[in-house]
Amino acid sequence: MIMNKQEFLTRAGLQVRTLEFWLEQQWLIPDETAAEMNFSDMDVARAHLIRDLKSDFGVNDEGVDVILHLVDQLHGLRRALDQLQEGLRGTSR
Amino acid sequence: MRNPYEVLGVAPTVSAADIQKAYRKLAKKLHPDLNPGDKAAEEKFKEVAGAYDLLGDAEKRKRFDNGEIDAAGAERPQQHFYRDFAASDDGHPYADSSGYADFTDADDAFAELLRRGERARANRRGRDLHYQLPIDFVDSIKGASKRLTLPDGGTLDVTIPPGLVDGQILRLRGKGAPGAGKGGPGDALIEVEVLPDKRFTRDGDDISLELPISLSEAVLGGRIRVPTPTGDVTMAVPKGSNTGTIMRLKGKGAPRRGGGQGDQFVKLKIVLPKSPDTELEAFVSNWDKGKAFNPREDSTS
Repeated sequence: MIMNKQEFLTRAGLQVRTLEFWLEQQWLIPDETAAEMNFSDMDVARAHLIRDLKSDFGVNDEGVDVILHLVDQLHGLRRALDQLQEGLRGTSR
Repeated sequence: MRNPYEVLGVAPTVSAADIQKAYRKLAKKLHPDLNPGDKAAEEKFKEVAGAYDLLGDAEKRKRFDNGEIDAAGAERPQQHFYRDFAASDDGHPYADSSGYADFTDADDAFAELLRRGERARANRRGRDLHYQLPIDFVDSIKGASKRLTLPDGGTLDVTIPPGLVDGQILRLRGKGAPGAGKGGPGDALIEVEVLPDKRFTRDGDDISLELPISLSEAVLGGRIRVPTPTGDVTMAVPKGSNTGTIMRLKGKGAPRRGGGQGDQFVKLKIVLPKSPDTELEAFVSNWDKGKAFNPREDSTS
């Protein structure tokens, strides 16, 4: 689902000012092709993760930066592993 | 549903602070997004989060302790975690391959397998392509339309939103490399570099400008034209203005994301005529008050 800024704020349970800050930090990267920003379900899920980190786990802003970067790398690695598995299947055929 | 105190591993008598501490400790270990490969983590996390929803709230905890509500009310509604999306095949803006980039670059069987796996995907989303775009300061404030020439000779029209900051990344969805099968194209990610300006500097939403004024404008005051990124405006310089005097042009700064605008600050700088002027010299040498004034007196006292 693609949503505009207002819908996103409601879905993610965020204040406008918080969102501005997160965008500034590039923790969230919405689609800016059109005149207004477009957000996806993935952005909502990512916003929930940031919220959990900050409000439940007591992580500060610098910590969020580091964690997001590492989590994204971890997913990259998991994909690579997945590809490797597919590649191996291909060779054994 | 287990007893929420058991779930958090605390005694029913502990303080609210201890409950939070116990929750944080468990949640940090179990959060599905911090355990993307652990399927069981999600169930465990939900149980812990549900228990905390109940016990972390003083009112609900009291009602639970009094037997007015049971633990079933604490179950969390279905939630989508970030990992559900990050693991998807379609590619996404947050994908980061830097964790293994050194492996794929290598020239060995392992790297070849990685590359082959990538190619073998039937519905593979195209890669995101990264570009750099330098723009003038004035365009970053006013907004602009730019055409980016790509290495392959194609072009990309980029709309610069007003108030853009240096280093901001613009995403053009679907303008990246083409995908395979049902996988759509990737995105173009354009990192915009705002070139420094000779006149203007930016601090947050405010813009500063140093403006030379003549001696007569400083002494007698007057209306002068001031450049702003959106065009010249007229500003009144009061009588007796000095070098370093800062004037504010309200609303002439950068647009704010939430609406409204910053201000432009104009710092005056008195500049004497380039070639020595005999009339001015004659006046100053006969100007006793001017000679008696020591501008350094203030700073030493």
